[in-house]
Amino acid sequence: MLALTGGAVVAGLASGRPELVVLATPILLFVGVGLVLSSEPRLAAELDLARTRLIEGESVMATVRVRNDGIAAVDIELALVRTRQVILEPEGPVMMRLDSGRSVKLEFQVRPQRWGAHSVGPVLVRARDPLGMMVWDTRLGQVVTLRSFPREQRLRELVAPLRTQPFLGAHVARVRGSGIEFADVRPFTSGDRVRQVNWRATARRGDLYVTERHPEHASDVVLLLDTFAEARDAASGTLDAAVRAAASMARAHLARRDRVALVDFGGALHWLEPAFGTTQLYRIVDALLASDIAFSYAWRAVESIPRQLLPPGALVLAITPLLDERSIRLITDLRTPGRDLTVIEVSPLLHTRPGPTAADAAGYQLWKLHRDALRTRLQALGIGTAVWDEGKADLEGVNSFRRLAGQAGRG
Amino acid sequence: MRLLAEIALVAIAAGAVAVCLACLPSSARAQWHRATVPQPPRPEQLMQFERLVGRSEASALTVHAYLRPVLVEIASRRLAARGHALDRMPESVGRSLLGAPLWELVRPDRPFPEDRHGPGVSARELRTLLEVLEEL
Repeated sequence: MLALTGGAVVAGLASGRPELVVLATPILLFVGVGLVLSSEPRLAAELDLARTRLIEGESVMATVRVRNDGIAAVDIELALVRTRQVILEPEGPVMMRLDSGRSVKLEFQVRPQRWGAHSVGPVLVRARDPLGMMVWDTRLGQVVTLRSFPREQRLRELVAPLRTQPFLGAHVARVRGSGIEFADVRPFTSGDRVRQVNWRATARRGDLYVTERHPEHASDVVLLLDTFAEARDAASGTLDAAVRAAASMARAHLARRDRVALVDFGGALHWLEPAFGTTQLYRIVDALLASDIAFSYAWRAVESIPRQLLPPGALVLAITPLLDERSIRLITDLRTPGRDLTVIEVSPLLHTRPGPTAADAAGYQLWKLHRDALRTRLQALGIGTAVWDEGKADLEGVNSFRRLAGQAGRG
Repeated sequence: MRLLAEIALVAIAAGAVAVCLACLPSSARAQWHRATVPQPPRPEQLMQFERLVGRSEASALTVHAYLRPVLVEIASRRLAARGHALDRMPESVGRSLLGAPLWELVRPDRPFPEDRHGPGVSARELRTLLEVLEEL
């Protein structure tokens, strides 16, 4: 605008025409007054979140206080910087005029769309002087980290471990000993306690018989989270479901007094060693928040998992979308005698659609059939598989399969 | 000279109007605070199959070397669930269970294609074969 005005003045002077100068004069005056009156605004902003920890799907109130410490009023547009998966209400920038020495309080509803550690802030402010001559963009206030914990599903059933550890828990052990669950009756032998005598069987058979029981033991559970690859649509992805599954299973197993370990297995390898209790649950959930797909060409073998994470007899639950050849190879390699392995598949089919062409549609159909064949191949290796569908995984079916596979293996 | 000055006057006025219009807040400029959201990529595993189907349309060699092993694995697993073994299956049973076109593709003794640069299997033909497999 200034260049045009200057051009008009020059053209007017060169051509000796006063009209051009007359046309340019008001603009020059406007610009001059604007420049004299404008001064860099002195704004301050504070961002405060009502709480910084919430469950996925919940929302939290964010309060922004903006103060104008300058000598002139300013028109401001104000927005909150946030990570991609945080929804704001109101969404767009808020516009207002803020007089000198005044402050204003604005409230936003902040809702993370998925679990994770999200950052909210700083406050993005675009200020203009009253004549709109000058614009200043600035970032004010601090960044607040909002931790959104995965929504857990209540599981009706858990994958029953084939082997238990010799410490007290809630799983009926296969071995016999002192417990509640009935195992068998057998003839009395020296050393048996009188309280073990089964009087009904003794009366029927005419000889002393005792009741054997299964003790209640705990087990070691290793949650193996595959973060090699994921399928995503605009709303969610397989990693979201995998993290929810891992959190739900961790909670359920820890509630049964099992020792639970977590291995985040992908481009980067992270783990938590097996432990009991509520503290371990918090550790696992915190570790899950950091889970992400890390692109990598690295080939990971079973040997890359520290030995102490796979204790003998542990139940390994591999939570995977079965999308990467490396994780599939790892799962088949993990299937060794003495290792108890189950695959919980978070299906990528929910997040993908066939492409537009006939070749894409055929490719999609072929992919689906290939995945079915892959599942059958794992089952042929004795690995139980269940598809996780927001807590409605067929874990009962897996347990039946595992019992049958175990019997076949022993037979 | 007068004409030139009038032309300059009109040009300056038009330029001023254009600059003013450009300064008006547009819907695009109102989005200054918002980050662009990239479209999530499709799974690489799925794209591999889409590419395989595309290449199989053009080349008999690709069909034999790359598409056939996938179809053989799918057919073997599905037939095994019904108590059949593809690699020991008599031709008559294979033809009746899979149909002639699919059997010709997955039969254990399928020879290497004579014309390796010949046409492969079209997407439409492949979908027909896959429907047979799905129904197994």
